[in-house]
This record gives sequence, C-alpha cells and structure tokens, in this order.
Amino acid sequence: MAMIDLDKMLEKIKDTQWSLSDVDWDAPGAELITPEQWPKLKAFMADLMWIEHVGARAFAAMAKKAPDDTLRQIYTYFHAEEQRHANAEMALMKRWGMLEDGELPEPNNNLRLVIEWLDRFADDQPIYVLGTVVPMLEIALDGALCKFLLDTVDDPVCHQAFELINGDEARHLGVGFSVMEMQGHGRTYIDLVRMTAQLMDPRLILGIASYFPLLNKMRDNIVEMGLPEEKLYEAMRKFEKIGGRTEDGRRNPWFQIIKHHGRFVVDRKKRFYHAPIDALVKVADLIPRKAFPAVPSWVKEITYQPTA
Amino acid sequence: MKKSQPSPEQHPTADVLIIGAGFAGLGTAIRLQQQGIRNIVILERSDDVGGTWRDNQYPGAACDIPSNLYSFSFAQNPNWSRSFSGSREILDYIHHLLNHFNLRQYIRFNQNVSNLAWDQDKGLWQATTTDGGVFSGRTAVMAQGPLSNPGWPGIAGIEDFEGKKIHSAAWDHDYDLKGKRIAVIGTGASAIQIVPELAKCAGKLTVFQRTPPWIMPRPDFTTPEWNKTLFRKAPMSQSAVRKALYLAHESMALAVIWNSPLTRFAERLGQWHLRKQVPDRWLRRQLTPDYRLGCKRILVSNDYYPALQKPNTKLITWPIDRISENGIRTVEGIEHQFDCIVFATGFEVSNAGTPFPITGIGGRSLNEEWKRGAQAYKSINVSGYPNLFFTFGPNSGPGHNSALVYMESQMDYIVRSIRTIKSLKLKALDVRQSAQDDHNRSIQKRLAKTNWNSGCQSWYLTEDGFNATMYPGFATQYAKQMADLELKDYRLLAEEAASKTV
Repeated sequence: MAMIDLDKMLEKIKDTQWSLSDVDWDAPGAELITPEQWPKLKAFMADLMWIEHVGARAFAAMAKKAPDDTLRQIYTYFHAEEQRHANAEMALMKRWGMLEDGELPEPNNNLRLVIEWLDRFADDQPIYVLGTVVPMLEIALDGALCKFLLDTVDDPVCHQAFELINGDEARHLGVGFSVMEMQGHGRTYIDLVRMTAQLMDPRLILGIASYFPLLNKMRDNIVEMGLPEEKLYEAMRKFEKIGGRTEDGRRNPWFQIIKHHGRFVVDRKKRFYHAPIDALVKVADLIPRKAFPAVPSWVKEITYQPTA
Repeated sequence: MKKSQPSPEQHPTADVLIIGAGFAGLGTAIRLQQQGIRNIVILERSDDVGGTWRDNQYPGAACDIPSNLYSFSFAQNPNWSRSFSGSREILDYIHHLLNHFNLRQYIRFNQNVSNLAWDQDKGLWQATTTDGGVFSGRTAVMAQGPLSNPGWPGIAGIEDFEGKKIHSAAWDHDYDLKGKRIAVIGTGASAIQIVPELAKCAGKLTVFQRTPPWIMPRPDFTTPEWNKTLFRKAPMSQSAVRKALYLAHESMALAVIWNSPLTRFAERLGQWHLRKQVPDRWLRRQLTPDYRLGCKRILVSNDYYPALQKPNTKLITWPIDRISENGIRTVEGIEHQFDCIVFATGFEVSNAGTPFPITGIGGRSLNEEWKRGAQAYKSINVSGYPNLFFTFGPNSGPGHNSALVYMESQMDYIVRSIRTIKSLKLKALDVRQSAQDDHNRSIQKRLAKTNWNSGCQSWYLTEDGFNATMYPGFATQYAKQMADLELKDYRLLAEEAASKTV
C-alpha cells in the first residue's frame, strides 16, 4: 500500500467531524445491558475510557514533535478526537447508570502510572518512539477492545457510538502506519544508533515499565469479562501484519521492537516475560492511592455532557 | 449626510488627495501644511477621524508601545496618563491634533472611496466614492490604513449562530455583557486585552486558542503628576525620554527580527513570565508557543494569564469544528454554548491586493499586479502609478518599534516628493521599474534571514509565504532609506511638455 497523502487526509479529517450531540444518549436500548454484564462492563468501560484519554495525551505530545505543519495539525485533531472517544464512552457509562452526576471514573493504578509518566516525560520523547507505540496501543487496546464490546453489548446506541469512534480510529491507524513507514525509510542505521541512546534514557525505561503491565492488565480485564483473550492477540498480530507490510515499515527499528514485544505478550508460555510483568501488575495494584501525586489538570477535561 | 451626486466640477482639484483621516492621513496633512501646501482634501469614510483608534474601542483596548513613543515627535503630549495609554486617550490625542492644527477644513467625511484611477491626459488621480462623488488631486496619498477592515474567520456555520456576534474592531457598546456566557475566538493582540476585561463581568468566559502568542511583561504604570509637570515645563526632558524609549526599542530588533542570543533571552523572559503567572503545568503547556519568538507579533500583558485562571474563565485549545445555532462545536465532541461570541480575529490584510481598485498608466491594475504579493519602491511608490504615495505600503511594517516612527519617515518623504513635483512643475513623478525591482530583490534577500520568515504562519505572509509586510531592519535604517528622494530612480514628466521625459 502506498503511503497516504497527508494533506488530503487532513482535509478528510476536517470534513468528517461529529459531536456528542449527534447521538441521542436517551434513546431506548440501555435496558439490554444484563445485570451480570453490568459490574464487569463498568470496570471495562472505565479502563477503556482512560486508555482513550491517555492516547489523547500521547497525540498531544506527538503534535509538539511533528516534523511538519500538516502532521502537527493532524495530531492536534487526533488529540481532540481521542478525547471525544473518552467523552463518548463516558456518556455511555452515564447512560448505563454507571456514573453519578459529575462523577469521573477512577483510573486503575497501572493507568495512574501511565498518566504520571505521560505528563512528565511524553513531551520529551522523540516522535520515533511515540509514533510506533501509539499505533500499537490503538490497535491492541482500543481497536480490539471496541470490537469485543460490540460482540457482547446489544445496546444500539453503543453500536452507533462505536461506529463513529471506529471511523476515526481507522484514520488514526492509517496515519500511524504511514508515519512509521516514513520513519523507516533508509535510515535504519542512524535510527538504531539513536534508538540505543534512547533506550539508555531512564525516562523511557520508566515508560516501558508502565506500558508493559498496562497490556497485561487489559488482558486480565478481558478474561474477567469472559471474553477470549485470543481476540486481543489477534489484534496485536494485526499490528505486525500492517506495520510490516512494506520494506520501509519493517526497517523502522521501533516497529521491530514492538513487534517482538507483541509476540511475547501473546505467548503465555514466555514465562520469563509474563512472570515479572504480571508481578508488576500486582505490585501496581498494591500502590496506595495516596502515594500518587495529584492528577494533572488535563485528566479532568473529560465530560459525558454533550454541551457545556 | 448630504445625498448629492457631485461631479468633478463640484470638487475643485486638490494638490494632494489623502484617503483616510487616521494618524497617517492627518499627520501627512500637518506636515504638508507646515510646508505651505494647503490645497489638501482628505476623504474619510466615517463621520469621525482616528481610523484604527476610532474603530478599536473594545474593552481594554490599548497600545503596545509606550505613549511617549506612540505619538508624533512634532506634537508631543506631556499629559499621557499612563506609560501605555488606552485607546480612548489615543483617540483624544488624535482629536487634539485635528483641532490644534486646524485640519477639519480639509476633511470630507462619509466619503468612502471605491475606486482610484490615474488620468494620464490630465495628470490627475481621480477618486470615486460609493456615493458616486468624484474627487481629483494632482497627487494622492493612500492613508487608508493597512489594518482597517475587520477580518472574520473562515469557520463553518458562522452564519448559523443565533446569539450576539461582536467583532473586536467594531464593538457594540450597547450590548450588556454582564453575567453573559461569552466566547472569545482568537488569542492575538486584541484578544489578550479584551479577555481580562470580559473576565470581570462575564458569567462564563471561554477563550478559544489556535496558536499561543509570546507574551512579555508589560511595564505599565500611571504617570505621576510631577512627571507631567516636568514634561510641560521642560519639553526637552520628554524628548530625551522619547529618545531613550526609541533606542530601547531599537535594541529589541536584535531579539525580534533576527535569530540571535537575544532571541533566546527574550524567549526565556516570556517563559519566566508564564511560569510566574501560571502554576498549572498543563495550562502552561497549552500557553507555551512552539515557534520562534518574533515569527508572529509579540504581545505584552500582565493581566491576560491571570484572567484565564479566574473561576469563570476557561481556555479551550481543541480545534473548532464549526459554529452552530447555540455555540461552538470543538473536535473533542462538545458543543460549548454561548449568548455572545466575540471575534478577536484581527483584520483583512491586503498584502496580496488593494482595498479598492487602483488603476495606473494605461489602465494597469494594481490589484492584479499585487496578486502574488505586494511590492513597492521603498514601500512608498509603485512603478506605473505616478504621484501616488503609500503610507504603510509593502515592507514597511515594524515588529519592534513604534509604527508612528516609521510613519513620520513616510510622511516626510511624501512632503519632499510633493514639493519636488510642485517646484519642478512635474506632471508625473513615476518610479522606475528597475529601481523598484532592485529594491525588492534586496529586501527579500534580507527578509529571508529574519524570524518572520522562519516557518510559522502569520498575517505578515501571503498564502504563498511571501513577506510583503515587514521591513527587515532597524527603524534607523528605515529612516535612512526614506531620508533621500533619489530622483535618478524616477521618471520625471514635465507639465508643459507632457511627452518629454527627463
């Protein structure tokens, strides 16, 4: 597949906007959520919403690092669109009676670590790192999770909302993989050198330390909901398939790293990977709430109300 | 206003036809008058003088340049109440000029020029107004102002909004803002002055930002009485202060115009100002510019950042999707609803065209010639348009010093040229195309090295990125450029023998 024309993509993004008020959040169908589903769905939605919100923050960092104005504008839109997804998912939670008036769901401890990391260090990360990690997160956590949701929830409003969300995500991935290919173009050696230097950066190591457990945590969530974890893995293999479809894409060293990491994640037999990461998930859960600093103010920007 | 259909005969030919009664138009008239040229007609589209300062009377409107420098050197005002005066006081100063220099006799109010054409046979400029009036002059001065028409943003749905719409440059003082839900679109020079005022009275104020500006601390203070007395009794002391301010601003060129260690220093000052006033990390990030200082206009304010943090005020940096019946929809999917939207979105910039058709020798159209970016000789004349002078013409804009300093250089150049036309009995003084081309080659070469051309988008540049607006140098350099009328750069056409060129 040839690389996409980013200028045309920006126009398309501008032309395909939607807002929360396009959806009737009071339409019938909320009763289709079963009492057994409800508590697990609540936990799942809260995490999903936070992942969108965290993804939004990553796009904000990418906008600062964008190599040209078009890409900067695209990432600025993506930042807002991820926020819109978080808002829409919160509106679903509100519809399903999972939120009190003005309530903001609590992020789990792994997410708190990621939020903290993003707030402190994301803006300092090179676009190489974010440009590869974000499509991975989008595919694995966002794309896949949305699909599971539609498989289990019959509420038509949920389907309507996710149709809009998935339309955005398709563009996010299109740009994401295109940028990965751009980065892989004939610069393998330089990138390898740079990447190695980056790996030595303790801030990045911290980022990895919070990202790995996040994946395992979401796998646990899925299993908890009674969904086959194989579906998450399928989604992660999709990353390998699409990202590696061209020579340029394969040449991106970050793609290689994330790909291999993805293989570890999907293979439960890799005990040397899963044992410590699962331990980290458990450790993160043990961190007392008080130990975290106050959440950054961008965290409070989400809302389930279509109008302000 | 009298509704008549005047013919050219009803309006005797003036020596100088000036379009616009703002600072430039009135200042030129004063200088001409001081040189004994009094056959002047000033065409003003409104019913009052003052131009920019008449139109921009929004809450908080003030000048970014200290008043002792933002005034004419030949008409200093010892009574400025503050170091940076408000719009009302500047307008009062303009009215003072009007009365003190007895300029009202020249002005034809409510005459909105719609066309300006050179009559080669008669050697006259003919201005047609929207009322059908025709005014002619042997020479003409474009003093219509570079930023005189409100600019509305190209946001979809702008017509759909059912609430009140106000543009900063045409404020509706009858609309009561108290307790209202107000949006401000734009965070440029006007917006950062309006926001602190609206934050005092609005029920809810939301500021929509696309690009954060660089904002410096504003050394604003009330002038002590002893200072006014000193300036009144010893005008030399005010001239000395003015000179000091001038030199201080000249030194800023090193930070503003070119990328230098001083640019870094100024950026640090801006960051320090932000850090000091905004404790929240995320808000600070939203307000931190990501382009080099100087690339866009630098602003000064002490109360903008604090205003944004008031409980009734909020900054939104999500891109705007569209305006709807009830408010503004942003890309994060929320419709922000308002009673009133304030458009602090600046002005229409004619850096690629003229505000009305201007026709020169042989019917050539300046609008057509300027389509790819305006060009002139020393910002003031254009080849093929004899006896026509531009104030704030192409590449005359300052980024670091008082616009009036530049304007005085232009006014003196105009007076010198008109005196030459009169004393040499010239029918036409037309700059040579080659001289104009040489000047522009040099200007564009120098501009390439400036911060304005360093890659951001601004109103200084045309859509193609051509800088037709700014002057790449010190005010002192500009004054030197304008100091001499080099007749070798012009074609001179004598009045008696119209066919003979010198």
